[in-house]
Amino acid sequence: MKKKVLSVLLAGCMLMGLVACGSEAPAASTNTATETKTEEASTEEAAPAEEAAVPENLTATQQIIKEAEGMSMEELAKKAIEESNGATFYGVGNSSRGKSALPLFIEYLQSIDPSYTMEFEWQQPKNNKIFEQLTADSLKGEGTFAMTLIQDGNQIESKMVQTGILDTFIPKEWAEANGTTADAYEGYLPLQTLNKVFEYNCTGSKEYTNCWDFVDQDVHALYMDIDSEIVGKNFLYMLTEDKYAAWLKEAFEALPADKQAYFQPTIDEMATDAADLGLGADGKYALAWIKLWVESYNAQTDDGPICNTLVTDSATDQAGLLVYSKLRSVEESDSVSVNNIKVAAYQDGYKGIGGYGYCHYLFVTDNSPLPWTACAFIAYMTCTEDGFSAWGKDMGGYSSNPEVAKAIEATYNHSKGGCDESGAVVYECKNDRGYDWWTTTGELVLEDPEYCASVSFTVGSWIEMLTKYSAE
Amino acid sequence: MDDTARTAKGKSVDSSAVFFNKIKTYFMKPQNVILLLFGIVLTFTTVAPIVAIVQDTFKIHVGTIDAYLTKKTEGFSIVNYTDLFTSKLAKTNLWTPLVNTVLLAVLTCLISILFGGLFAFLVTRTNLKCKKYLSSIFIFPYIMPQWTLAVVWQNMFNSNEVTGTSNGLLASLFNYRAPIWWCQGLLPCAIVLGLHYAPFAYIMIGGIFKNMDANLEEAATILDTPKWKIMTRVTLPMVKPAILSTILLVFGSAMGSYPVPHYLGLTTLSTKYVSMNSKYTGEASILAIIMMIFGILILGINQMSLKSRKSYTTVTGKSGQISKINLGKVGKYVIAIIFIVVTFFTSIFPIVSFAFETFLPNPGDYSFLYTGNIANLTTKWWVTRGNAASALYGQAGILFNDMIRKALGGTLKVAVACALIAGTIGTLIGYAVSKNRRSKWANYVNNMAFLPYLMPSLAVGAAFFVLFSNEKINLFNTYTLLIIAGVIKYIPFASRSALNSMLQLSGEIEEAAIIQDIPWFKRMFKIIIPIQKSSIISGYLLPFMTCLRELSLFLLLCTQGFILSTTLDYFDEMGLYAFSSAINLILIVLILVFNTAINKITGASLDEGIGGN
Repeated sequence: MKKKVLSVLLAGCMLMGLVACGSEAPAASTNTATETKTEEASTEEAAPAEEAAVPENLTATQQIIKEAEGMSMEELAKKAIEESNGATFYGVGNSSRGKSALPLFIEYLQSIDPSYTMEFEWQQPKNNKIFEQLTADSLKGEGTFAMTLIQDGNQIESKMVQTGILDTFIPKEWAEANGTTADAYEGYLPLQTLNKVFEYNCTGSKEYTNCWDFVDQDVHALYMDIDSEIVGKNFLYMLTEDKYAAWLKEAFEALPADKQAYFQPTIDEMATDAADLGLGADGKYALAWIKLWVESYNAQTDDGPICNTLVTDSATDQAGLLVYSKLRSVEESDSVSVNNIKVAAYQDGYKGIGGYGYCHYLFVTDNSPLPWTACAFIAYMTCTEDGFSAWGKDMGGYSSNPEVAKAIEATYNHSKGGCDESGAVVYECKNDRGYDWWTTTGELVLEDPEYCASVSFTVGSWIEMLTKYSAE
Repeated sequence: MDDTARTAKGKSVDSSAVFFNKIKTYFMKPQNVILLLFGIVLTFTTVAPIVAIVQDTFKIHVGTIDAYLTKKTEGFSIVNYTDLFTSKLAKTNLWTPLVNTVLLAVLTCLISILFGGLFAFLVTRTNLKCKKYLSSIFIFPYIMPQWTLAVVWQNMFNSNEVTGTSNGLLASLFNYRAPIWWCQGLLPCAIVLGLHYAPFAYIMIGGIFKNMDANLEEAATILDTPKWKIMTRVTLPMVKPAILSTILLVFGSAMGSYPVPHYLGLTTLSTKYVSMNSKYTGEASILAIIMMIFGILILGINQMSLKSRKSYTTVTGKSGQISKINLGKVGKYVIAIIFIVVTFFTSIFPIVSFAFETFLPNPGDYSFLYTGNIANLTTKWWVTRGNAASALYGQAGILFNDMIRKALGGTLKVAVACALIAGTIGTLIGYAVSKNRRSKWANYVNNMAFLPYLMPSLAVGAAFFVLFSNEKINLFNTYTLLIIAGVIKYIPFASRSALNSMLQLSGEIEEAAIIQDIPWFKRMFKIIIPIQKSSIISGYLLPFMTCLRELSLFLLLCTQGFILSTTLDYFDEMGLYAFSSAINLILIVLILVFNTAINKITGASLDEGIGGN
């Protein structure tokens, strides 16, 4: 018996090898069923636009985008149905919620054509792998991924857009809602702005009333390592822009004299570097804050563990800069409570930057196998409440479409997210004050992809020279 | 035609006939066919990724430092080398990680050999109690993914005062705050990896202790040699090959470990590779090459040590009389209890803590332990349906989580395929090399098969990623790529195990069958494999088990959610310890079930023949 089992095992292995090697993961297998359709659709639809497009040297996908930008949501949906009925849609993104949005999109298409079906797969690579994955996929004649939802404006600009790997599509309704047109709008299409905000554990007596307090002596705020989440490095780049450097200067001037005296030598020390790096008049304040931050923050693997730490009663006086929405999942227990933390910017009298806002951008891949469907899906997420609901149900993520944002607030009432049914405030820090507040009073530093890309190897290299804090 | 011409023609016909006869004879021997075939295949599969990654170090990558420095968007340059070795960042990006990596590898070898070797000695050469239990439990840390011990370490020793995080168990329950050097950095990394690889040392050194000829030690005893002298002059030299083998296998693995240093805050070449990859892509590839060079150096050292002795890890000449040291009436119990306690913390406690973690209301929230309030426990991580629940960070409960289910399927697919292919190829190579042991080509094939194992996993993964991400072949995030990488990396498990066992097999056994004109397949299935089945099964089991919890090798080749280890790492990084703990439990149960099943069917198991049997 044993010998038989062995024989079967050995003999079967070769067969298994063949089968296994033949069984590609769905992700990279080219969906031949849809290939022909896509080609046909692309050729068909590209033809009328070709004449106008030739002078601009547009690629086939860019021609489709050009045409799609003049279409309504419903017209786009019809194109998508025509193109992808029975096909498989592959998307890749930094947010896992794309997977939740796709079934809703399919339901929407089915409301127009009940016979419509589409399989889908949504991949969410961690760290920086999305750029490698998209770059590798761009080498194919026809890619695997139809579209992407991606963060980190700096790398998008230098690796994806300047290289022609990704194309921006601006939906008509989105442009109208923002009082612009696809032609007039410059920049990428943001799905939403997410905010990372300064929070601190308030079970002790320590208070953080100024953004400089987070880089004060013996403070080691928790933050995702800037080398593992590059978007965190963009925050530091952005601080050197004139507007935000001025905010830092203002906050510094609001500090009491003893604290100013502590920070002043570092600021003075940075003056030469700021001039060498070509920064504006307040650049030295930005560099001083960055230096103190990099040399003091306690690197963590993700915002999840940072949030888990801050809400425990043992993390007395500990602070962090983390994604605001992480608070949504905290469950109250004997040692954990959302009320153990305070959002720094929500305090009366708080001075300086309240956090950092970065976007999730939407793009069509230039070798998209389903460009029409990608455009329709992008329009669905940015122009309808249902499309954005996968993100909108949580606090701390703000739709780039003002109308959708309004509808989401009406449905989910995030501004009262910390109140009980009677309207009494239970968790102050869960009452999300919204995008407008954050970007004005809350002094949220907003990512500008072009600026980040322009200083990536000047300010960026300067940051890399700093010695990161290590508890070792 | 004159005689001279006729003779010349005859000679040429003769020599060509002789040549073809030689060729025919050569190919009639299955071992020659195997060696030729796999020699060519392995040369390609081992050399091609190396060539690809070397090329990558010269390539200009858009949006990275090389493009910035050369002001070009394509082409080749040596700027990555000059920048990495001579820029102001050389210390940060190269020298410090390099020193840390070497120190980590050396310390890991030391800890694993001391701990595993001592345990092997106690189990095989003394009258220690509870051997069977201890032997089984000792290999658990090797079964578990290596970084799970790192996560357990954090959960145990972290404290707000020292690490600036929330309190771990010891700080919460006993108000004990471990010093920072014990919580983060080189020492905890080396301890965790040392504990992880100690079973390796135990299996290898234990195998020799078990089989070594005790007559030598007895002779020394009769000559009234002091015990310490017997140990240093007789026993240790005999286990030296096993110690060398352990160093050989552990050094490269520790060097290439990414997750443990990542979680315990040590900058090594692996962690630097990952952090530099976005902006310093070409320079990161140089780091991978440096790691590979260490692998090649280790292979060279292995070659030198092989030349100095005939046998490798096995010691031939079994003595039926192994003398066992008496630990004393109390000693045999006391030492057993010490090991039971130690293995409880390295093997049982992580499993218990994984299970417990899945019932905590928040990750790392141990309120229940110090309040005793049952309300501080929950089953939500298991039973929540759908991914709408904000309490689970957008994930469905473990029992209904599609991502975990798919990843489990993917892992099984990869592990089974890798085990079957690597096991078979390795066994065939081991067989063929043992048959042609004096041939240089056989030696070359053997080394080619072994080289990928000595190279750090992350570097091998990086090389495969570069090789298979181009306009012609694009295999990123496919099972094919994972299986190819896994097979190449794990062939040595099977080839070493098969080679060692085949070398012990007398050639006459097969020759007798050849004389009777029994075909090769029949000889293999009826004679060779049945005799050496336990070693051969180990050659299948080890790739299977290693594949199940491999992360460093696959980290760069697929997305999270594709296989269990990347999913587990994803949840650990996100701080969703309930999910990662559940995956750990799944992995441990899976491995134990397979190990037990194979043990029942074939009689082979990982610690087979060493502990207590």
